[in-house]
Amino acid sequence: MSVVLVLAALLAGTYVVAVLEGWASTGRLRPAGPLVSGLALLGRESLVPRKPDRIFFEVAPPLLLVAAVLAAAVLPLAPGLIVTDLATGALFVNASFAYVMVAVLMAGWGPDGAYAMVGGFRFLGQLVAYSMLVVMPITAVAMRAESLLTTEVVTSQVSLWNALYQPLGFALFFLAAMAIAFLPPFDLPIAPGELAEGVLAEYTGWRLGVMRFGRALLVLTLALAVTVFYLGGWFGPVLPPWAWTALKTLAVAAVMLSVGRYVPRLREADVLAWGWKYGIPLALVNIFYVGVVLLVAM
Amino acid sequence: MTIPLSGSREARPFPLRRLAAWAAARDLAAFIVPGPDVARTCGIDLDAAGVRVAQTPRHAGVLVLVGELPRGLKKAAAVAYAQMPRPRAILAVGAGDVSPLPEPDVWVTASQRELAAGVEELRRLFAEGAFATEAAGFDIEEIRMETEYVCPMHPEVTSDEPGSCPKCGMDLIPRESAGGAGHEGHDDAGHGDTDHDASDPGVLVSHEGHGSNDEMDYQDMGHEGGGEDSGGHEHAERGEHEGHDEMDHGGHEDMGFMSMVEMTQGTPRSSDGLQMEWTGAPFGPLFPGLPGGLSLTFTLDGDTVANVTAPRGALGWDLDGLETAPARDFPDLLALLDPLSPTAYRLLALQALEDAANTVADERTTLERVGALERERAASHLGWFSGFGRLLGYSWLEARAGQIQLALLRAADAEEVARQETEVGKLVRRVYRTPMLARRLKGLGTLPDTAETSGPVARAAGLAKDARSGGIYRTLDFEPVVREGNDAVARLWTRLAEVEQSLKLVRKAGAVCFPQGMLTSPLRSTGSATVETPRGAATLRVKLQGDVVSATELTTPSSLHHQFIGAVAEEREVADALLGVASLDLSPWGVAR
Repeated sequence: MSVVLVLAALLAGTYVVAVLEGWASTGRLRPAGPLVSGLALLGRESLVPRKPDRIFFEVAPPLLLVAAVLAAAVLPLAPGLIVTDLATGALFVNASFAYVMVAVLMAGWGPDGAYAMVGGFRFLGQLVAYSMLVVMPITAVAMRAESLLTTEVVTSQVSLWNALYQPLGFALFFLAAMAIAFLPPFDLPIAPGELAEGVLAEYTGWRLGVMRFGRALLVLTLALAVTVFYLGGWFGPVLPPWAWTALKTLAVAAVMLSVGRYVPRLREADVLAWGWKYGIPLALVNIFYVGVVLLVAM
Repeated sequence: MTIPLSGSREARPFPLRRLAAWAAARDLAAFIVPGPDVARTCGIDLDAAGVRVAQTPRHAGVLVLVGELPRGLKKAAAVAYAQMPRPRAILAVGAGDVSPLPEPDVWVTASQRELAAGVEELRRLFAEGAFATEAAGFDIEEIRMETEYVCPMHPEVTSDEPGSCPKCGMDLIPRESAGGAGHEGHDDAGHGDTDHDASDPGVLVSHEGHGSNDEMDYQDMGHEGGGEDSGGHEHAERGEHEGHDEMDHGGHEDMGFMSMVEMTQGTPRSSDGLQMEWTGAPFGPLFPGLPGGLSLTFTLDGDTVANVTAPRGALGWDLDGLETAPARDFPDLLALLDPLSPTAYRLLALQALEDAANTVADERTTLERVGALERERAASHLGWFSGFGRLLGYSWLEARAGQIQLALLRAADAEEVARQETEVGKLVRRVYRTPMLARRLKGLGTLPDTAETSGPVARAAGLAKDARSGGIYRTLDFEPVVREGNDAVARLWTRLAEVEQSLKLVRKAGAVCFPQGMLTSPLRSTGSATVETPRGAATLRVKLQGDVVSATELTTPSSLHHQFIGAVAEEREVADALLGVASLDLSPWGVAR
């Protein structure tokens, strides 16, 4: 039952994220936009480049979708509303997002095109920059919850959200989440002006539809992960728990989608340099700080 | 049965497809030829007409042709059209003859109102004819694939049929080419269309384009030893590659284990000492991050630009047609030369002819001209901000600068222009305050100190070079904007300051409309003039025979700056190379052969 409910919630959420994405890029709110675009994409030819690596080309779009949806299986929407409350849930979130890189890299290699290829390899570099910044802040979150169960992570925040308890970890995880979803200013693999859509450049028709859907779903699950790990999950007054999860998740998604509009895209070398020179030391400081606070509280 | 849409998709229009057709009509995405920059200077706003602008023809359903297209661009547009997935259509906005493209589905003049009507018409066509039982094919020479056979050792040996090399006796190997140079092609997923033969980065299709991905020939680049098959993964199979002779990134065939050393053996070595696969990729003439019409081919070494080729005169646009024009029509003809700054070139022609007639415009006319020229400069710089914003991924700047540019160009009088001053001021302050922007651009596009430059590029290098320094401008308290740095960030700051300055000058001049020239008969047989166009000083010399212009000699800033493309792009990462090129603000229309 909860599987069906979660899937329905994810579908609805993805649709709203797609609407928000349209709003962030055009400044207009078109509630029917994604539906119309989706139908139009289904009616359009889905071309295959002349010399593709066929397997990579075909597998990349569904893989992106799968990578995005996997994490949602271990993230609670409300008490009891979770597909599987895995004992290693927090780690599983991290592991499932790793497949995003595989999907993007395949989409870059598959079509045998220069823009796509550069885009795909850029994302591989980006992974090197963001991956530690996903797992290290999660470590600090798990330390406070004394558990890797995502439901425990939520209940550990009943008195104070992690966003306030460990703001440094929150900021790092938020930025890393944007980098995973290659949202501006981390949109190096698609880089509309530089690479003419990069890894998406050769996808058309329904395959492009699947890619876009996968990306929107990815933004949603990442926003959900931020909500669960840092914004107290379903906790909130008056409204039912699921509504709080939905509101927080969509608010996070809206911020993730729109901040990149006001800054230039980062250089790949800078993303890497900052990720390792500042990001990782700060993540260590965060872990240390949380450890000290926990010890003192004991 | 008539086919309502030139690019309808071959399929029986059953109910579900009708729904898709309805959706396609509501969700129009356009790929603009020559580019959004030209569309805006023509006062065309597709976004306001309800059409999204796509970055690649692959994601577009409508090919929008703006203005008269030169030969070179028509071919590129045809390739872009062939790359668009069906259903697709062509919308011509103030365009002339468009062959080899098929007849446009909708034809409107370059005005926003007509455009809106044209878009409505397109929507109707899509709703009715997105799917048809008979769909028209599209097949032109430029996109057809041809196989030729070449000797692996002697690239000059080519043949139409298989055989052996007369020089060394080796078997000739097949290589694909199209329209004389080659495109990637592609199969259509089972729809039986024949015309999607051009693909891949080809988007950006220099029509000699694309195959460059496949056909980079190292020997051409002076890298002996690499041989034609230096394409990375293929060395183990030297001599027996069937159809994988090219330099595509691997051809994706199966191969056994191969160490990096083996794989990169004999490939050219980059400046950083790493051996990587080299790939040729066209960036232009229809690349979203560069001015529409500018044609570059980067040889990519990983994601570093190892080499740039930037052919001059790729547009097939030249002054030839102008050289025997009646003096009366000459200013109008010169204004058509560069759609990005028509006013400056019209003024240039007028002043050259006035010089020949030995007349001087009265003060009022001169002021009106200053107003028109400065309005154009402000609009041109804003257009540059918009394009630069797109390249930078700074969407807010792209959108906002484009809007203000359109408002400036549409303003009826100096007061309306002056009203934009506050908006421009806000934009300028916001750009100055943008986090990470200066850092992003610092050190990009640096030119050698000895480089001869003009316009904002020179003024951003600390040189007070400005053709406006004398005459009427002195009475308007004009001082050239000078910044130090000689890089992309200095050019951005210079142009930001110049937009504000130009709007102040418009206010002082009190007029923005370009006066018709009052030409008197020329007294002398030659005349010359220099005008500071938005991109720098342009000089024109004309020779006259009676009332007819018999010869012209035009030097333009873009022609001058074009030579620096290599200097700002080579040995840079792709994004940095593109930003460096874009910072020069080249107008491909003003690049002489």
